[in-house]
Amino acid sequence: MGSMFRSEEVALVQLFLPTAAAYTCVSRLGELGLVEFRDLNASVSAFQRRFVVDVRRCEELEKTFTFLQEEVRRAGLVLPLPEGRLPAPPPRDLLRIQEETERLAQELRDVRGNQQALRAQLHQLQLHAAVLGQGHGPQLAAAHTDGTSERMPLLQAPGGPHQDLRVNFVAGAVEPHKAPALERLLWRACRGFLIASFRELEQPLEHPVTGKPAMWMTFLISYWGEQIGQKIRKITDCFHCHVFPFLEQEEARRGALRQLQQQSQELFFFWGGQRRWVLGETERFLSQVLGRVLQLLPPGQVQVHKMKAVYLALNQCSVSTTHKCLIAEAWCSVRDLPALQEALRDSSTEEGVSAVAHRIPCRDMPPTLIRTNRFTASFQGIVDAYGVGRYQEVNPAPYTIITFPFLFAVMFGDVGHGLLMFLFALAMVLAENQPAVKAAQNEIWQTFFRGRYLLLLMGLFSIYTGFIYNECFSRATSIFPSGWSVAAMANQSGWSDAFLAQHAMLTLDPNVTGVFLGPYPFGIDPVWSLAANHLSFLNSFKMKMSVILGVVHMAFGVVLGIFNHVHFGQKHRLLLETLPELTFLLGLFGYLVFLVIYKWLCVSAASAASAPSILIHFINMFLFSHSPTNRPLYPRQEVVQATLVVLALAMVPILLLGTPLHLLRRHRPHLRRRPAGRQEEDKAGLLDLPDASVNGWSSDEEKAGGLDDEEEAELVPSEVLMHQAIHTIEFCLGCVSNTASYLRLWALSLAHAQLSEVLWAMVMSIGLGLGREVGVAAVVLVPIFAAFAVMTVAILLVMEGLSAFLHALRLHWVEFQNKFYSGTGYKLSPFTFAATDD
Amino acid sequence: VRVRGPARLIASGARLLLRMLSALPGRGPAHLQRPLLGPASHLGILRPAMTAHSFALPVIIFTTFWGLIGIAGPWFVPKGPNRGVIITMLVATAVCCYLFWLIAILAQLNPLFGPQLKNETIWYVRFLWE
Repeated sequence: MGSMFRSEEVALVQLFLPTAAAYTCVSRLGELGLVEFRDLNASVSAFQRRFVVDVRRCEELEKTFTFLQEEVRRAGLVLPLPEGRLPAPPPRDLLRIQEETERLAQELRDVRGNQQALRAQLHQLQLHAAVLGQGHGPQLAAAHTDGTSERMPLLQAPGGPHQDLRVNFVAGAVEPHKAPALERLLWRACRGFLIASFRELEQPLEHPVTGKPAMWMTFLISYWGEQIGQKIRKITDCFHCHVFPFLEQEEARRGALRQLQQQSQELFFFWGGQRRWVLGETERFLSQVLGRVLQLLPPGQVQVHKMKAVYLALNQCSVSTTHKCLIAEAWCSVRDLPALQEALRDSSTEEGVSAVAHRIPCRDMPPTLIRTNRFTASFQGIVDAYGVGRYQEVNPAPYTIITFPFLFAVMFGDVGHGLLMFLFALAMVLAENQPAVKAAQNEIWQTFFRGRYLLLLMGLFSIYTGFIYNECFSRATSIFPSGWSVAAMANQSGWSDAFLAQHAMLTLDPNVTGVFLGPYPFGIDPVWSLAANHLSFLNSFKMKMSVILGVVHMAFGVVLGIFNHVHFGQKHRLLLETLPELTFLLGLFGYLVFLVIYKWLCVSAASAASAPSILIHFINMFLFSHSPTNRPLYPRQEVVQATLVVLALAMVPILLLGTPLHLLRRHRPHLRRRPAGRQEEDKAGLLDLPDASVNGWSSDEEKAGGLDDEEEAELVPSEVLMHQAIHTIEFCLGCVSNTASYLRLWALSLAHAQLSEVLWAMVMSIGLGLGREVGVAAVVLVPIFAAFAVMTVAILLVMEGLSAFLHALRLHWVEFQNKFYSGTGYKLSPFTFAATDD
Repeated sequence: VRVRGPARLIASGARLLLRMLSALPGRGPAHLQRPLLGPASHLGILRPAMTAHSFALPVIIFTTFWGLIGIAGPWFVPKGPNRGVIITMLVATAVCCYLFWLIAILAQLNPLFGPQLKNETIWYVRFLWE
């Protein structure tokens, strides 16, 4: 795994890939996942690159694959997962895969087309049968019986030709929502020459394409006159009605109906719409084709995906036509260089050529690579979520493994809740290799599962801090006897029963002998959980604890910066930045911590009435003033404090001007010699072109160049001063605000304790006090405990847990990391097919 | 001595509790004279009453304990790729947990004020914790 202290060494390598072996080499590199290719053709658009034709072929294949996948899904089958190792196929295989896929797709399309045609035919037959079967009784009856006499008066009005005296019929079906419009239009256009009757079918018919039941309205129009007939047909065409031939004679119609029903029966039988019928030809053929698709599709998809990835990677290489090879540049970890060379050697000797890789110097900032295992991955993840570290700067993750759960636990401290969280995480950790657990798709579950080691440590530390706070589901436990003796107080103060009856609240006085017997050896004394003024004590304790933890955490952050300065060869910053920073921080806030501890150790109850107030002392320290009522903690306190404040203030100009002046002074001789030196530099540049990076001078977006002492010629004084001024202000003001920010440790632990206590007092305590008979109490306790459990999990574990998590994260990201971490790097994302393999 | 009604109830309740506890095997009426015995005396465990908690003993014990984990522990971590991370974890755990415990005990070393208890609490605790 390697150390997580800082990023591994990452080098830029140049690969020479002979054209014959380029594909196999890159495919092998993709399997190994060692290198990240740099795009050497960034100025070339995607359509002009060398392998664009191959990429396009792969994409077309992928489109066909998608169509096949959709067909499989429609048939209700599930694609099996690909098995075994499937390397990217050589380019000549692509043609074979393409042909097979195309053939399958065509067959499927044909089958589908046939199915559609059959269904449409069936639908037509059914519709025709329905239209014929529908009784438009009165109209027909009228047409038959009272033939001649009815027509006479109507015919005379327009005075048209006398030949067309027969009644003709137009029968058909129309969608119900169009029927009123059709009726209106017919009436307006052909009024007086037709009788139209509309009737709805009793049952809906299945739509051929969508399969949903659709209602139809049948109509029967009886008209006379050829031109009217043509008008009617045009109108029905406009409305996209299905028109069927309507025979006048009843028997003929019945015969037609019988024939239709017979035909549709045959078709149904033939089509085999349901599984329990005999499978028709179509169905059998379809299942055959789908079987071949299921065999071909999973490996094919993986292979084509890999092939496309390889071609995209090859597109990033530059072509050297003279040497008939491709030149690639890639970032590779130094530790993996031997493996890289071996892989290249193996895959190119198959083709009879040799591919080589050698390391080249580079000016750009390399990507950061930190190897993690499944335990450290989640902690590295929360550090990276803020920002990936710059190349080779100190990585805060190994310390975060412990400090993050610890600060969470300070805000969450409760033995019971911590135990629940620990057991939940333990269950997830022990079951982590089961396939059912790994395959779960629920996002919320996945979030909890990925952080299972985080939860494990958080729960464990919460149990510890719960013991220290002496809280288990808000109840205190007396593991050791309490350090406060109520009996001694009662006996020595003469607290008789009468006295106690008159006073509802009484305070124990530590000045009375025998009342306070010593500090509780592990944690907070259990007597405080019985006390009404427990918050007074706990608040004071927790606030001071927060400040102490905060100052220690921040000082640790500043100290980590030392490693950065030493590693990057900026030793002047040790004296000009780290030392002033530490002096400022420890001189002011370290002194505050000293005051707190001194008061704890040296101010006893005997002088409690006149105990000095640290807050007043601290304020007066900055104002250089004096409060007569506040006695000093130790002799010569004012002198010491004044010295510290002056010292801290003196550090500010050192911080502000030290580094810029030093840099400027060091480079002033360089600046003077620059015109003469530049020509030499240019000549040197031309000479080592073969070795230097081909892409060396192009602009790289995220890669900030590290300032090296020898090379930089762009030292702009104003920029350096500005940068340092910002850093100084940020640090000095940040010291104050960040120390105060750590008080959230107090705030959240108070909130958690109070919520927990309220839940107990309002739910369980009442439940335990209900009912004197054993039976009643037991029965009532069941729903009460259920409510208690649900609210504990929902409010105290989930809500408070998320809240404490968030605040601990903020403390790390802002207060701790801004002392030393810049987080402006980028990760090494190697070229790999791993995403498709799992 | 005149006590109020509910107060008398509570006082008699405390005495009832005491009698119940003393009904456990091993102790007779002599218990009512209440020699200066420590907690759990009604269970037959003889302990001096409310021994003063020493400060030095817990400090020595816990300093040794976390010192073993944080200073001696790293020497025993087996060589392997994760050695650095495990040592960091051990030291960080020792420092954090020791510091937290130390703050808790220092804060209670010289209390400037005592707990304020309800009279009911005083009634039963004065007998229970002796």
